[in-house]
Amino acid sequence: MQPILKTVFNFIRGTSGGDREAPDQFLRKSENFRLLLAANSRALEVMAEMTEAARSDRPFGMSHVRAQCLTVASGVRQMIERLCLMRPGRYEELKTVFNRILQEMERELASGAERGVGPLIMPMEAIRAGDVPLVGAKMAHLGEVAALLGLEVPAGFSITAHAYRLFMESTGLEDEINRLIQIGGNGGLRELHRLEAEIRHAIDMTALPLELAQAMRSACEFLDERDGGPRLAVRSSALGEDSDENSFAGQFLSLLGVRPEEIEDAFRSVVASLFSATAMTYRLNRGLREDAMVMCVGCMEMVDASAGGVIYTRPPLGEDDGSLVISAVQGLPCGIVDGSSRSDSWKLRRDDLHILEAEIVSKQCRYVAAQDGRIVREGLKPGCESEPSIPEEVVHELGRIARRIEAHFNTPQDIEWARDPDGRLLILQCRPLSVCAQAHSGRDPDSPVKTSATPLLSGCMSASPGATAGQVVRVETAEDMLCFPEGAVLLARNARPQLSALLPKAAALVAEFGSTVGHLANVAREYGIPALIGAPGAVETLSGVGVVTVNAGTGGVYLGRHQDQIDDADERRDTPRVSDVQRALRRVLPKIIPLSLTDPEAPEFRPGGCASLHDITRYCHEMAVNEMFLQDARPTSRAKRLHGDLPLQYWLVDIGGGTAESCDEGRVGVDEIRSNAMLALWTGMTAVPWEGPPPVDAGGFMSVVFQATQNPALAPGAANSMGERNYFMVGGNYCNLQSRFGFHFCTVEGFAGDDPTENHALFQFKGGGADQGRRAARSRLIADLLEQYGFLVETRGDALFARIEGIGAEAVEQALAVAGHLVVHTRQIDMVMADAQALARYRESLGKGIRTALKRLEETSPQWRNRT
Amino acid sequence: MKRIRLLLVDDEQDFLTTYTRRFVRRNVDIRTASGGAEAIEQVRTTEFDVVVLDFLMPGMNGLETLRGIKAIAPKLPVIILTGHADSEALCTGMESGAFDYLLKPVGTDELYFKILDAVGMRRRTRD
Repeated sequence: MQPILKTVFNFIRGTSGGDREAPDQFLRKSENFRLLLAANSRALEVMAEMTEAARSDRPFGMSHVRAQCLTVASGVRQMIERLCLMRPGRYEELKTVFNRILQEMERELASGAERGVGPLIMPMEAIRAGDVPLVGAKMAHLGEVAALLGLEVPAGFSITAHAYRLFMESTGLEDEINRLIQIGGNGGLRELHRLEAEIRHAIDMTALPLELAQAMRSACEFLDERDGGPRLAVRSSALGEDSDENSFAGQFLSLLGVRPEEIEDAFRSVVASLFSATAMTYRLNRGLREDAMVMCVGCMEMVDASAGGVIYTRPPLGEDDGSLVISAVQGLPCGIVDGSSRSDSWKLRRDDLHILEAEIVSKQCRYVAAQDGRIVREGLKPGCESEPSIPEEVVHELGRIARRIEAHFNTPQDIEWARDPDGRLLILQCRPLSVCAQAHSGRDPDSPVKTSATPLLSGCMSASPGATAGQVVRVETAEDMLCFPEGAVLLARNARPQLSALLPKAAALVAEFGSTVGHLANVAREYGIPALIGAPGAVETLSGVGVVTVNAGTGGVYLGRHQDQIDDADERRDTPRVSDVQRALRRVLPKIIPLSLTDPEAPEFRPGGCASLHDITRYCHEMAVNEMFLQDARPTSRAKRLHGDLPLQYWLVDIGGGTAESCDEGRVGVDEIRSNAMLALWTGMTAVPWEGPPPVDAGGFMSVVFQATQNPALAPGAANSMGERNYFMVGGNYCNLQSRFGFHFCTVEGFAGDDPTENHALFQFKGGGADQGRRAARSRLIADLLEQYGFLVETRGDALFARIEGIGAEAVEQALAVAGHLVVHTRQIDMVMADAQALARYRESLGKGIRTALKRLEETSPQWRNRT
Repeated sequence: MKRIRLLLVDDEQDFLTTYTRRFVRRNVDIRTASGGAEAIEQVRTTEFDVVVLDFLMPGMNGLETLRGIKAIAPKLPVIILTGHADSEALCTGMESGAFDYLLKPVGTDELYFKILDAVGMRRRTRD
C-alpha cells in the first residue's frame, strides 16, 4: 500500500555505492520537487472547485469552465515538467498521455458548439421551420407560415448561422471576444458594461469577409425598388432565441429603416447585441453556453403600415379562460412592442372568435417610416384620436390567422402583425408565448437546518455535501479495507487517496486529517457521498458507536439515524434543471476528476494507466517522492560546519537567504541562521536534550549483532558511508535535513513562506539496527504521534513517510518542531521496542517532549522572527 | 535580495502600464515590450532574470517569440500569461520550454509569486 517507502529501503544500501549526487544537482531536484508540490495543490484545488460547480446551481459561463480546465491542465503539465527535470528521460511518456487527455477534453468542450458549412444567405421563400439551426427560430417561423399557411410575410432574407461563424472565425474576432470575456473576469455590472463596450468596439473594427459582404449586397438587389430604394427591418434571430425555454425577449437589437448600403453596419450592431451586458447576464443566469451562441440576422422589407399590433393566442397571465387578445395601434406597431404606446385591444373567445371585450383608447400619435427610412412619431389627424385602429372585420381576420398559426405550431403564440395601406395583413413575427404558471410556494432553500439532535462531533469541515446515516466502520489497515461493508460510514484518521477505492461502497466519509481539496475529497464529491474531513477527535469519538448520521450541511455527526436531516439534505440537493454550461462541464469532468490510480503497487500504476488529469497528478506526486528519496542525495561540498556546543556533527548548505550574510566560509553558528524553517526544526531538535542511546537489553543487542552480519554497510571499513554526518539545506523559508544516526536514516523538509499553497513539511524515516518487528513497532509509534499533529502518514514495515501541506507558515514551523523532536529522540529506540510497556513509556515521554518543544517554539520564535 | 530584472511583453499598453506600476514597488526592475520582435531584441541586448509573455499578439505571435527568446537565452525562464484559454498554446508553449502557463486575469500576487518561483529556480540552481 505504501510503495513510496519501498524505495526508501534502498536508501541506506544506496549510500554504500559511490553514486552520489553533487549538491547543485540535489538543489535543483529539491527545487523541482517543491514546485511540483505547489502545482499539485493548485491543480487539486481547482478540481475541487469544478466538481462543486458541476453540482451547484451557482451560475457560471463557458469561459469560466474553459479557464478552469486550462488551469488544472497547466498545473498538471507543470508537475510533469518538474518530474521530468528531477529525473531526465524517465517520465517523458507522461507528456504524450497528457496531450492525449487534453485533446479529449477539447473535443468534449467543443461538442455542443459544432461548426459546419452552408449558405451564408437564405431568401425568405426558401426558409422552413426545420431551418431553425441555420436561421434562428424567428426567421424559420416566418418562412414556415408564409410557405405552409400561405400567410403574407415581408420579403427578405436571412443572414445565416454560417455567415455569423465565418465572420467570427475567419477574422479572429471569436478569439478576441473570448479573450476579452476571459480577462474581463467575473465582475459586477460595471465590468460587464465595460466588457460590452470593448466587444462592441472589436466588432465595429472588424471588416466583414469579402464573400459575406458580397452575398449581402446581392441579396438586397432582389428587393423591391421604391423611391429612394428599399428600407429594411434588420432583426436579431439568434439561435436559441424565442425558444420555449429561453426567450431572450427584447434583449437583442432590431433596427428599422435600414438602407441596403447600411446593411453591413446593421449586421455588426445586431451581432454586437449578442454581447450586451443584459444578454450576457441573462446567459450566465440561464447557464447558456456563450460559445454556442450564434446570431442569425433577419432582413425584411419595411412594411408601410397603416396599423399594426400584437396577438396573444392565450392570456399571458393567470388562468386560461379560453380567450385570445389582439392589440392594435395606428401606424407601425413598434410602440406596442416596447410598451410606449397605448393601444386598442380586443378579447376574443378562441373557439368562435366572438368579441368578449373591446377597449378603444384615446391615441395622440403614431409611428411611421419617413421617406429617408427613419421611424418618426407624428400626431394623429384631429378627430381620429378615438377611432379604432382597425375595423371589426379585421379583428376577426386576425383572430382566424392567430388560430391557424397556433394550431400549426401546436403551442400558444405571440404574433406581431401589420396592415398595409392596401389592407393586406402581414405577419412580422411569431414566437412561442411564455405563459406564467401560478407561482407555487416552496420552502426557503436558505433557511437553516433545524435539528434537535445533539452532535457527537460538530464544527467539522465539509468536503462533500449531503447527509446520510450508516454504521461507523474504522479503516486503518489494508485488511480493514478488504472487510469494509457496503453502506457503512467510512471512518479514518487520514484522508489517504488509497481510501478512494472504498468510496463507491461507503455511505459517507469522516476523516480526522486531510484537505477538503485533496484527492479523497475530490472523489467523495464525484460519487456524491457526504464527507467531513478535518474532524478533530473523530476516530476516538466515533469508533464502535454504531449507526450515526453524517451531516455535511451542519458539519456534525449525530448518534443514530436522523431521517429529517437526510430528507432535508436531499431536498437541498435537488436541482432539476441542468444548464447547457453544466452539461458541458459534466462532459469534460470525466477527463479530469476520476481517480483510478489508487494503488501504487498495482501494475497499472504507470503513465499509460493514467486516464484523467487527476491520475497524472497522483502518479507524478508518487514518483516525485520516489525520486526525492530514492537516490542518495547528500551534497558533499559547499557545506559549512555548524559550530557550538553540539552533541553531533551538523553541516549546512545555504541555498540562498538561509544564513546571515556575515557568516564565515567554513563555519556557521546557530545565531547566524536566518531560515525560519531551520530554526523551528532546530528548536524541536534541541528543546529537550538527548539522553543518549537507550540501555539495550540482551535481545535488542543480539538483534543488532544479527543485523550487522546481514548488512555489508555495517562491516568494519564501511564506517565513513554510515558516518554521523547530518546535512541541513537551508533557504529563507526552506529547510531540508538529511541525517544519519548510526543505522537510522531520516529526512525532514519544510517550506514555511507566505503562500500556504506552497508550504509543506515532510518527514521521512527509515532503518534501524534492530529486527524488523521492533523497527516496525517504532515506525508505528512515530506515525501515531505525527498523525496527532496533522501529518498524513504512510508506513511500510519500519519505513515511514509523513507530510503536511497547504498550511500557514506558523503551522509548518510547528510541524517542523514536532518532527525535530522525533528525529532526535527516536534514534535507536527500536532496540527497546520489545514490549508493550516500553512502547507505552516512550509514547508518553515523546508526547511530553513534543509539548515541551512546541512551548519552546512559542517562546523563541518571536526572537528569531525579529532577527530575520 | 537582488532586484529581479523582468521583461513584460504584451500588446496592450494598459496592461503594461498597470503591471509596471504594481511591480516597481516589489523589488522588480521592469522593462516592457509591446511585441515579439521588440522582446527578442531586448533579450539580445539586455540581461533579464525572467520574461512574462502574452501569447496572442498581432505580428509575431507568442510561440515564435518564445522560440526566439529561447534561441538567444535558453535558460531564461519565460512565463506565458495569456487571456486566451487555449490548450494548444499550453502544449506547444510548455514543449518549447516555457516555465509555466497562466491565464489572465491574474492577481498581482499570483504573478509575483510565479515570477519569484522562476527566478528562484534559476538563481538557486545556476551552474
